[in-house]
Order: sequence, then structure tokens, then C-alpha cells
Amino acid sequence: MKLNRTSFSAVAVLLASVALPGISHATVTVLGWPGGSEETALRATVEAYNAQSGIADADKVELLFFNRDGFFDKLQADMAAGSDAFDVNLVATYSIGRYAPYMEPVDLGADAGKVFGESVLKTMQFDGKQFGVPTDLSLHFMYYRKDLVDALMQDDAGKKKYAEIAKEHLGKDLQPKDPDSWTWDDWAATTLYFSKQVNSESPVRYGTVLQMKNLLFNVMVFQSLPRSYGADWTDKDGNVTVDSDAYKTGLELYKKLYDAGASPKDSLSYEYAETNAAYGSGQAATALQWNAAAADLTNAEKTPAVAAVTGIVAPPAGPNGRADHIHGLGLGLNKNAKNKEGAVKFLKWLATEDAALLYARSGGSPALAPNVAAKVSKERPDLVKLGEFASQYGYVMNGATSANALSVYELQAKEFTGYWAGQQSLEDALARTKTGMQDLLKK
Amino acid sequence: MAIVNRAEGRAYLTPLVGFLLFFLGFPAAVNLIYSISTVSFETLRSPSLSGFGNYAAVLADREFWGAVSFSMRFGVLTALAECLIGLFLAVFLTPLLAKRSYLMAPLMLPLMVAPAMIGLMYRLVLHEFAGPVPYYLFEWFGDSPAFLDVDNAFRTLLVVEILQWTPFAFLLFYMAYVSIPLEVREAASLDGASALKALWWIELPLMLPTLVIAFFIRFIDGFRVFDNVYALTGSGAGGSTTSLSIYIYQAFFKGGAIGKAVAASVVLFLASLVVLYGLNWITGRGRR
Repeated sequence: MKLNRTSFSAVAVLLASVALPGISHATVTVLGWPGGSEETALRATVEAYNAQSGIADADKVELLFFNRDGFFDKLQADMAAGSDAFDVNLVATYSIGRYAPYMEPVDLGADAGKVFGESVLKTMQFDGKQFGVPTDLSLHFMYYRKDLVDALMQDDAGKKKYAEIAKEHLGKDLQPKDPDSWTWDDWAATTLYFSKQVNSESPVRYGTVLQMKNLLFNVMVFQSLPRSYGADWTDKDGNVTVDSDAYKTGLELYKKLYDAGASPKDSLSYEYAETNAAYGSGQAATALQWNAAAADLTNAEKTPAVAAVTGIVAPPAGPNGRADHIHGLGLGLNKNAKNKEGAVKFLKWLATEDAALLYARSGGSPALAPNVAAKVSKERPDLVKLGEFASQYGYVMNGATSANALSVYELQAKEFTGYWAGQQSLEDALARTKTGMQDLLKK
Repeated sequence: MAIVNRAEGRAYLTPLVGFLLFFLGFPAAVNLIYSISTVSFETLRSPSLSGFGNYAAVLADREFWGAVSFSMRFGVLTALAECLIGLFLAVFLTPLLAKRSYLMAPLMLPLMVAPAMIGLMYRLVLHEFAGPVPYYLFEWFGDSPAFLDVDNAFRTLLVVEILQWTPFAFLLFYMAYVSIPLEVREAASLDGASALKALWWIELPLMLPTLVIAFFIRFIDGFRVFDNVYALTGSGAGGSTTSLSIYIYQAFFKGGAIGKAVAASVVLFLASLVVLYGLNWITGRGRR
């Protein structure tokens, strides 16, 4: 009997020690963007928030993460069902139109504009109302191997070979150039030169890593190419213009590079992680990749093969100059939140300069106003580039914040990958995309 | 033995029938209503009836038929391969397992892993730069196939599915094989039948119901495959690896076409019933 009592007490103490802290602290639940630098930064920031002396136990924050795959679908189902499982949820520029009906606008205070700048705050606005704190800005960097490009620039035989390849594959007279002044043709010629299948003397296996999986985010990476040739989803009258010459040029260039072996054969199944692995292996000369990868690809511990020799520039230029897809990720207030007061308190804190700097130092990528970004420029030089590229080259396609923007990206991903894989002609792919977009954008 | 009259039998069955009606009947009824309605996430609680337009849209959709074709090919090929390999293993490993039964545990190991995890595992294992399989192929042969490109993705998915689920077929066949009475084998042996003849004319006919059931279960599982295919290839370049389950998922969540997605699932349910009755008829004939 005594033994039973002792065992019972021990079990009770054990259960209490495991369960009670979770119960007492979990009063503002934040649903964040899972995986990658965003999750790491949010965890560190929330830890600091909870550690503050002025935060009541009732307002402490607990984090919740779904799987990254299908995240927005699950979120859509939860919000449509009126879920109160989270008080604060993730929102992105391209999904605001879809989720705004299930969220409440939030007043971040006058200082938020000074921390982020008004243009960045707008990435979280819908119908003129603020629906979230812009925690991360996403755009694309062109990562390249400085050592390989520098060696090419000093090698006369290499330059001759480069010119021959450019003439043969692209029909153009080109010479190697500094990556910061690349056009898409220069980049294409460089990737072909550094591909074993085209140039058997290449020191690496591939010239680039194309993200070509049938995935909506990959279309965002791709579309800066046609955009720099003048592409848009619709014209000013709302007519879908996806079958333009600009889109054709971009789609054809990707296919040409893939067919020539400039990108891994498995590229049709590649997304963020696979691209990092391929470039990080030291077997690819360039990669157009999300800015979020910068911290990993330039970290000698995480990517020892290339960290020290990786350069970063903006995506190459087209006839209309450079273009860089831009969108914000942020956190906003669920209409059915159980603890709205606590949630708003957390969101307001997140929009302060101290919190934004902490988030940046923890690996996140907030787009900060220049004077705020200057305070972390030593630890996070990529944030300086982020702000620079966003302000100079950032764009949002017409219709890309509409309620069906995600579905448009899905449609494009399916049809474009079908063309790249050789399953349908360019004309068929564009015709189907156009018809589908007309249907989606008129809803 | 207690005799239960009809009224008492009904009374005993009532809770079970009520349970089934509530937990299966209610969602089924809601789905049937959605399939003949115009409905979106915003109007889930107030769908408006619109007739059989969703069914017409599904049946006229080339992507639906592409998904049916993928699922059919995938289901038949994986079920066939799993049954053949499972049968082979059951026949040839039975003597070994009789002496070393502990070997059964590692043989069953793939069944313990969630299909989505299997998909993620192979995504890593087959990656050209991070995966061990391409690494060794490059080391030994100087080249490696692109396991997930559009030409090889279907074959890769088949192999992954077969590797995971063959142990299930093996388990069923093993149990059926060891339960064949010893006297039957001894009689065949005394009559001079070779092992191969005994297998073909005696053991396989006795195992036929199990063979059919195993094929049916594996076919249904393969036909409605989702997890590992989605984890490995998404829906494939241009939708080339879209199974019927993935089609329904995409129509429902990504396309927001809830009525169309539910109509497709009703079509899938009806098709499954046809297969079920067909196989039931075959096994019934086998027993007669």
C-alpha cells in the first residue's frame, strides 16, 4: 500500500511538472511559418518576449507550427471552420486577400512606420487596413561562385570557350562579365559554360540549379525573369497577359538550360531545400534562390564547401532592367482569437524597433528602414542587400494580392512545369494558363 | 446456447447501427449534398443546390481522367508486384522462419514507417547531391539516373511503394501458407508430386482466397495513394504523378472547388464498390 502511494505521488509530480508549465504559459497561441530561418527567429523572439517582467502569465506566448507542405491549405480550412486554436496566424502578401475575411485589422502604433517604412507595412495591408506585422521580407538573390567566375575572367582560353558556347547555344556574341552587371543572357552563357554536359572541362557539374518542381513558390522564383522582359499577369484593363512574348522568352530560356544539362536532371523535383543542397555541395556555379538561404549558404559551418566563395547579387537584368519578386510574411490577428487583448499586445511589441532588431539578430529577415537596418548591418549584411534590392527592383504582379492569387501560382506551376518537362507545347501551356487565370481572376 | 429472438437482436444492434449512421452516415450525407451544390469555404454551412453540374465537370475534366489513369496503373502494378514478391518470399522463407522466427520482425519493419515519412526519406536518399544512392552510382559507374525526373518518377514511385508494402502481402501469404494442413502436402508427396507441382496444383488453389484478398487490399491502397507520392513528387511536372486522391485534395484545397472535389470522391467511392463486388464475385466462385 505504501509503495502504491509513493508510486502514485511520483507519477502525479511527474505529470504536473510536464503539464502545468504548458498550461500556465499557453495563453496567446501564435501559428508561425514552419522551418527555416523564420521559425528559428520567431522562437528566439518569443522566448525574449515571455522573459520580460511586465508580461502576465495570462499573456505569455506559445508557438504552434504545421508542416510547411500544404501549410496554406490547412490554414484555409482551419480559418474557414472558425478555429480558435490560435490567436495569431501567419499571413503573406499573396494570401491576404484569401484570409482577410477571417482576420481582424490591427493597429500597430505610430512607430511601426519608422521601424519598417510605409512601403513595407503595405505588404501586410488589404483594403487599406493593416492586417499584420511584416516579420520577414522575401525576395531572391543570385548566388554565384566568386572563385569560379574570377578564374574565368582571367582565363583567355576560358573566355574563348565561353564565347563559342554563347554563340552556339544562345546565338549571341557574349564575353564573361562581372555578375553584378549580368543580363539573363550573360547568366545563361555562364551556366552553360560551367556545365559538364556542355563544357567537359568545367570544374563543377552544373552551371545553375533551377527550381522546377510543380510548386507555387517556384513560379515566384522564375517570374522575375519574364518580368525583366516586361511581363505582368494582367494589363491595366485587367486583361490576362500571360501569353506575352516576355513570358515565352523566360519559359524558353529555362527549358533551353534544363535540356542542355545546365541544371541537375532532377530539377523538376527541386524546391528550396534541394536547391540549397545542390548549390551547397559545390557542384553548381550559380543558383537563383530565396534570400532566406543567405544565412546558411554563407555560413562556413553549415555549408563548408562554398560559404567562403559565395557572392550575392540581384537577379540579372532584362531589357526592362532588373526585377525581383517581393512579398512579405507576417503575423496577424485571428478573428476568432480567444485572447485578442494578449495577441494585440504581442503584435504591437513585435512591431517595435527592439523586437525587430532581435528578430533580425536571430536569423529572421525583416525589411527594416535604413536607419534601423544600419544597427544590424555588421551581423546581417544580407539585410542591407535585402532592403536595397527590395527598394530598387521589388515588384508585385497585377492581381498577385487577389483572393485567388495562390491558385494562379498553382495553375502556372502546373502548366509551366508541364512545358519544361516536355509534356506539352509552349503554346498549349500558355493557352491553358490564360484560360485558367481569366477564370480565377474574375472571381 | 441462448436463443436470441429477432426483436432482441435488433435491440442489441441498435447502438452499433446508430453509431455507424452518425459517424459514417452523416458525413456521407453532407458530402452527397456538397456534390450537388455550389459551395466554397465561405459557404460551407449554407451550400446552394445546383444539380449535377459538379459531376459533369469532373467527368469532362481531362485532369480527372489523367488521375484515374495514374491511379489505375499504379494500383494494378504495385498490387501485382507486391503479391508476386510476397508469395515468393512466403514460399521460400517459410522453412527459414520456422527455425528463426525472430527474423519476422525486421521483415515487417517497412510497415512501421508512415508513408509520408517514407516519401521524405526517399527524397533525401535519391537526391543527386545529398543521397547515398546517386553518390555510389556516380562512384561506381560515373553517372546516376535522375530518379525523380519526368521519365523515371513513375517507376521510382512504384519501387518505393512496393518496398514498403510487400511485407504486408508476405505476411498474409505466410499465414495462409503455413496453415495448409500437413496431411495434404504429405499425400501429394506420396503421390509423387514435385514441390513445384504441389505448389501450383494444391497450395496455390488453397491460398486463392487469401491471394485475391491481398491483391484487392493492395490494389485499393495503391489506387488511393497519396502520402509518399505527394512527399516525393508533389503532383509531378505538369501534374504527371497526380493520383485520384491528390486530384481531390488539390481541387478541394488549392482550387477551392469543393463541390467538384466531393463529386470526384463520390465517383471514386462508386468505382471502388464496383471493384469490391467484382472481387467478391471472383472469391465466391473460387469457394464454390
